[in-house]
Amino acid sequence: MEVIKLKYDKNEILKKDKSTEVCFKCSTCSKFCPITQFVKRYNIEDSFVTQLFEAEKPEALHDVWMCCACEKCVITCPQDTNPTDVFTNLKEKAYQEGLAPEIIYRLVEQLLLESTVYGLKFANMARKRAGLKELVKNEKASKELNIIARKTGLSQEQEKE
Amino acid sequence: MLNYLFFKGCTIPASLPAIEKLSFEVLPEIDINLTETDEFTCCPDPIRIQGANQLFWLSAAARNIAVAEEKQMDIMTLCNGCENTLAIANHKLKNDNDLKNRINEILKETGKEFKGTVKVKHFLQVLKEDIGLENLKKRIKTPLIELKVAGHPGCHILMPNEILKFDNPVDPEFYDNFIETLGATPIDYLTKNDCCGVSLGLAGEKEASNNCIKSKIIDARNSGAQIISTSCPSCFIQFDTGQFIASRDFPELKENPLPILFSIEILALAMGRTLDDIGYNFHRVKSPFGLNVQGGKSK
Repeated sequence: MEVIKLKYDKNEILKKDKSTEVCFKCSTCSKFCPITQFVKRYNIEDSFVTQLFEAEKPEALHDVWMCCACEKCVITCPQDTNPTDVFTNLKEKAYQEGLAPEIIYRLVEQLLLESTVYGLKFANMARKRAGLKELVKNEKASKELNIIARKTGLSQEQEKE
Repeated sequence: MLNYLFFKGCTIPASLPAIEKLSFEVLPEIDINLTETDEFTCCPDPIRIQGANQLFWLSAAARNIAVAEEKQMDIMTLCNGCENTLAIANHKLKNDNDLKNRINEILKETGKEFKGTVKVKHFLQVLKEDIGLENLKKRIKTPLIELKVAGHPGCHILMPNEILKFDNPVDPEFYDNFIETLGATPIDYLTKNDCCGVSLGLAGEKEASNNCIKSKIIDARNSGAQIISTSCPSCFIQFDTGQFIASRDFPELKENPLPILFSIEILALAMGRTLDDIGYNFHRVKSPFGLNVQGGKSK
């Protein structure tokens, strides 16, 4: 019988996520994942999940950000694991360690600036064409969102100020 | 008349404002009265911002719900992502006292408090639970006869099913029933339940994203669809603008593009509006499609 040997010990975050303990790497999740099939470098034998298990630092893989949290893997897992939660936890760790794609940091910056992930300048150009009134930043709402960001550790730099 | 506080989200007001405008025009005709507020912030989105910081994501969502609670109004969303975030937050905090207290401690300095007194519903849930498709059918002025539509309900309104309780997440039916109610014919196609691929583009996988779009567009077309209709603004942009971008790699998409209609737009057509009225001109894919409407107003 061939036994798959992992290159590394389970990553700290995978150890913490109880649902990964019962995963036997059957790849059902990969077969049902509606997006990984379009990424050329993936195949069933060397799946998204297998790569995560074998990576020393899975949160460093930008691939976790491809997960659209549709939970098709959650529905189909024969072991009742929750791969979507695992990916979300890995994304969070990546963000904290500065390993997330640059676009995610820019998105958070924009969100905390104007309380929306689209720039108001861009939005108002489209709204003018559609004959709608301009969006104006609600200063109170924005201030409240920034308080939440500070309290939850999303914007640590501001806390130091 | 049903009264809802309208949670527009980020994408519709910024990228698809014609749909925002149309909602205020058409929804009162089916007894949905929408109230506006500028106190909401981004929901925030369940793919990226939840990934960046789950506690922030949940707290910001709770703050949005608290805005509605202060006004004693239920929320109606028009975006699958917003619905997913707000419904999960509402469910988690209503059912977990410790978590609720923890989040309220974070919200304290903002002056907001999550109490758990309002409902959060997507437009499709309002249609299903509060209006009913039978009642909607009575309001249809110009049935979209002979229009074959590939419905794409989108992922985030289906899962987690134990919270959203909206439709069968493996074989969803409601969106097809909605299309049928408008007098059109829903088309069954193999990739109906598959993701639009928007997260591939967000992760920088442009080629995979284009492949995903092509796969769905070609599948829908080969199954006989004249258009795709969706209730999610991200999916809409992925199929409309995304199809335009993917057509650079796939000539078949350029030669024969498939038009996309948002749920509100296809409803508006069945309520007697023309393609000009719904702002079809703002779409990337502007191809004409066979709109043989009873009553003859739209052609």
